[in-house]
Amino acid sequence: METIQRNQVKRLGRMTQTFLSKPANLILVVFLVLLTFLTLYPLLVLIFETFTVHSGREARAVGLPRGSYTDYHFKRLLFTLDDGGAMGVTYSNSWIQFYGPLLNTLSVAFTSSAVAILFGGTVAWFITRSNLKYKKFISGVFVFPYIMPAWTLALFWQSFFKNEFIGTGTSNGILASVFGIYMPEWFVYGYFPISIVLGLHYAPFAYILIGGILRNMDANLEEAATVLKTSRMRLLRRITLPIIKPAALSTFLLVFASSISAYSVPVFLGSPVRYYMLSTKMKSLMDTYSGQAYIIAAVMIMFGIVILGINQKVTGSRKSYTTVTGKSSQVSLVDLRKWNRPVAIFLVILMLLIAVLPLITFAAESVIIKAGNYSLSNMTLDFWIGTNLTYLDQGDSTGILLSGKVWKALFYSLALAVTCAVVAGTSGMLVGYAVAKKRGTKMANAVNSLAFFPYLMPSLAFGAIYLAMSVRVSWLNGFVLLALIGSVKYLPFASRSGLNAMLQLSGEIEEAGQIVGIPWWKRMTRIIFPIQKSSLLSGYLLPLVSCMRELSLFVLLVPTSNTLLTTMLMQYSEKGWAQFGSAINLLIIIVVLLINYLVNKLTGASIDKGIGG
Amino acid sequence: MRKLIALMLSLILTLGAMSALATDKALVEDAQKLTHEELVEKAKAEEGTFIVYGNTSRITTALEQFCALYDITGEGNNLKDAEIYTKLEIEIDSSAKGADMVMIQDGASLEFLIENGYLLNYLPPSVAANVDAADQNPLVHQFINKVFIYNNQGDDVPAIKNVWELTEEKMKDRVLFKNPESEQVNMNFLVMLTNEEWSARLAEAYEAHFGKPIELGEYKNAGYMWIAQFLSNCVFGSSDTTLAEEISQPTAAGKIGLFVLSKLRSSSVLTENLTVGEYDAQKNAYTIQPFSGFMYPMYALVSSGATRPYTAMLFIDYLMNADGFQPWGKSVGAYSANSALVPLEGDLGIDVWKNTLVSEDPAYILTAYEDVSTFVTKYVK
Repeated sequence: METIQRNQVKRLGRMTQTFLSKPANLILVVFLVLLTFLTLYPLLVLIFETFTVHSGREARAVGLPRGSYTDYHFKRLLFTLDDGGAMGVTYSNSWIQFYGPLLNTLSVAFTSSAVAILFGGTVAWFITRSNLKYKKFISGVFVFPYIMPAWTLALFWQSFFKNEFIGTGTSNGILASVFGIYMPEWFVYGYFPISIVLGLHYAPFAYILIGGILRNMDANLEEAATVLKTSRMRLLRRITLPIIKPAALSTFLLVFASSISAYSVPVFLGSPVRYYMLSTKMKSLMDTYSGQAYIIAAVMIMFGIVILGINQKVTGSRKSYTTVTGKSSQVSLVDLRKWNRPVAIFLVILMLLIAVLPLITFAAESVIIKAGNYSLSNMTLDFWIGTNLTYLDQGDSTGILLSGKVWKALFYSLALAVTCAVVAGTSGMLVGYAVAKKRGTKMANAVNSLAFFPYLMPSLAFGAIYLAMSVRVSWLNGFVLLALIGSVKYLPFASRSGLNAMLQLSGEIEEAGQIVGIPWWKRMTRIIFPIQKSSLLSGYLLPLVSCMRELSLFVLLVPTSNTLLTTMLMQYSEKGWAQFGSAINLLIIIVVLLINYLVNKLTGASIDKGIGG
Repeated sequence: MRKLIALMLSLILTLGAMSALATDKALVEDAQKLTHEELVEKAKAEEGTFIVYGNTSRITTALEQFCALYDITGEGNNLKDAEIYTKLEIEIDSSAKGADMVMIQDGASLEFLIENGYLLNYLPPSVAANVDAADQNPLVHQFINKVFIYNNQGDDVPAIKNVWELTEEKMKDRVLFKNPESEQVNMNFLVMLTNEEWSARLAEAYEAHFGKPIELGEYKNAGYMWIAQFLSNCVFGSSDTTLAEEISQPTAAGKIGLFVLSKLRSSSVLTENLTVGEYDAQKNAYTIQPFSGFMYPMYALVSSGATRPYTAMLFIDYLMNADGFQPWGKSVGAYSANSALVPLEGDLGIDVWKNTLVSEDPAYILTAYEDVSTFVTKYVK
């Protein structure tokens, strides 16, 4: 009896040993544990927070001491629909704080996804399937709005279109003061501009995903149809659109998930006309009634989970948002003929408007002293290189390039971005490798989903959870905290490109190495990595770039608002120190573009990899 | 289910055990007896970077000068009040290195932190005699005022004499105010209007302006009524600096705002287009009925997480005296709680301002906060 048991234990031990001796299994186990802790534990903490009494005004309102259990937050936020009095349900607390902003959030998310797909998809078609002129310029500049922080475009929109008859109604933007054109309020503030700006910001997603499919799509299908004299419209409707449908849907869901949690864009474009979204409500509730803010965070995450579910169902077993199909050698370009130049020029102008003009505007805003006056006598480089600026009385006494504080923040931002990129990129590559090797197993699926989950967590909510978590784990603060959350949040980018790169790689290549007895790490560093270098490096670049321009994720976690360039910028914007703000904004964009350019030149990796003229 | 949740809650909470506070009440109380030289000596003997959180931007200038004077390494952080409160709690709870000293507004939130020992009060002996007893605990460093300021250009100048003018139809979208949901002191001001004193004075002012007694209808008192009608006419800005800049534009004729007086110092504000309302030179006072705006204290306290408590106290001592107050005192709109420091030429003393501005009463704010803030959200919608 005892021997049998002992044998069983031995056998189990041996099985575990064999199982773990395969690197892919070991990686899966490690990441399963790590990711469960880093994504599911925070979720648990968040749920507990929604039942907990927090300090200050909240404790006073609930009438219970801090830390006690309560269902007050749910009652107050979700079920207080009867205190609107004569003004009805839309004036009830729950409507104002939750349902109203929820509706706004959903409308914005739907519209911005549609804008992203239509715009990004159309441009992708022109770049990949037509003989459009100036392709290189258009495709190079097209990803700018994604590289730039989202609020850049929002601020630009505001300073370009605002006028004295709308919003605060006090001053004219460039369009009104220079051209005398006054745009209506719906165009400048609220639902419309928020949706458009977010749509433009995320259009590169559509461009990359749909473009990837269009580029690899078998042209024989279209040619066959053309031979049979199918009309252009019918061809588009019956062949091209069905083929890009999965990619379009993935884009839709990705942009939808991102728009839900967008914070800075609705702050700038929504607040002046009292247009609130869940993210803005969550931020203001966080200051007073944080229990209710955590409920909003939980709702945002629920949307993320639903979206992940839909995405998995639709894209089937691939569970991938890049859905790259088999390669085709025959891609024939559609000849645009007389439309070529007009379309190309239109796109170039559009690109200049949304990608280059904002940069010029920020440069201009950073040198003028009194807002709205663009005469030379009102200009100064003091905000960049001045000293003794106490006469400006805008908090800082030196220009940003001479300010130790700015340089410190720049290096901190860079260090953080590099750390996140290295951690996320490497983990993503390993996850990609292991999932590809063990494709179809339960564990691989679980790790794959867990690695994608952080993408769906709204940044602000994710930040809030890590903040709550950091209270309980004493070593979790400062740089470690920021680097950890950054790495987890950007892991999906890296694990996706890692998985795609590994899936393209035939197993025989590694097996050849295995047969001659090359150890695993050598196979990775000498065989696999070099072959897929550029595509794996993209998995490092995307986290790097995203981290440099991230705000929402870090805003609650930074030791001080001067820690990162982005949080510093947000603070300047809120204080209304426009010139310093514009200068820092430009600095961030230049640094990010520079990184993108350098990495691209040195390694061939780039965000828009795979597409381009 | 309820029990289970409660159990798990307490489990999670105990994961990070509360640590002993780095600085305690006794230490600060004892320090009150030290001479200035002894305090300097003890401060200099402390190690590590001296960290300050403040929700006024000029705290960093003051800290730089202080550090140069005493040869101390310091780091000043300018954060929003709510951020400071959140961070303080988390940092002290998890005994992470955070602030040694804070300078902060929003007395209602402050009360909670003092009650629970997160913040400690230190009254520098050098100024004790010159600080009003009411401002000694918690120690007020300065008062800040937000007043009605209007654009004086054009034919339709909103030189109001009574706050009820702001509720009239013709003022729709002409009143600029920072959204009270994003700045607590603005919300506190609105809460204060609903107390007995201010609602009575608002009712009086109503009668004085419209020539008939106020009819409240559904409103609980005149304070609620004014808040509702005032907010309905408001456009919300994102910061007081932006408001000041925007209202000062030539294109902003006819607009009026309620924002920090000290923003008039900003180089980007076209000061010549702005007038602070409504000044009576004979009385040397501002005379909008029943108030010309509101004021709130900025407090200076020692953090119980301080690893440099003596430096924190030395800094508070410095801030309360002329040199330390200089970054604020050089322009209008900031008033030291130290009565020995006279206000700037051209500005009124805080004693005069006090009569015409709404002041915070933390105790009342905490009682009425939930009710009034819920009411307010209906009108910021």
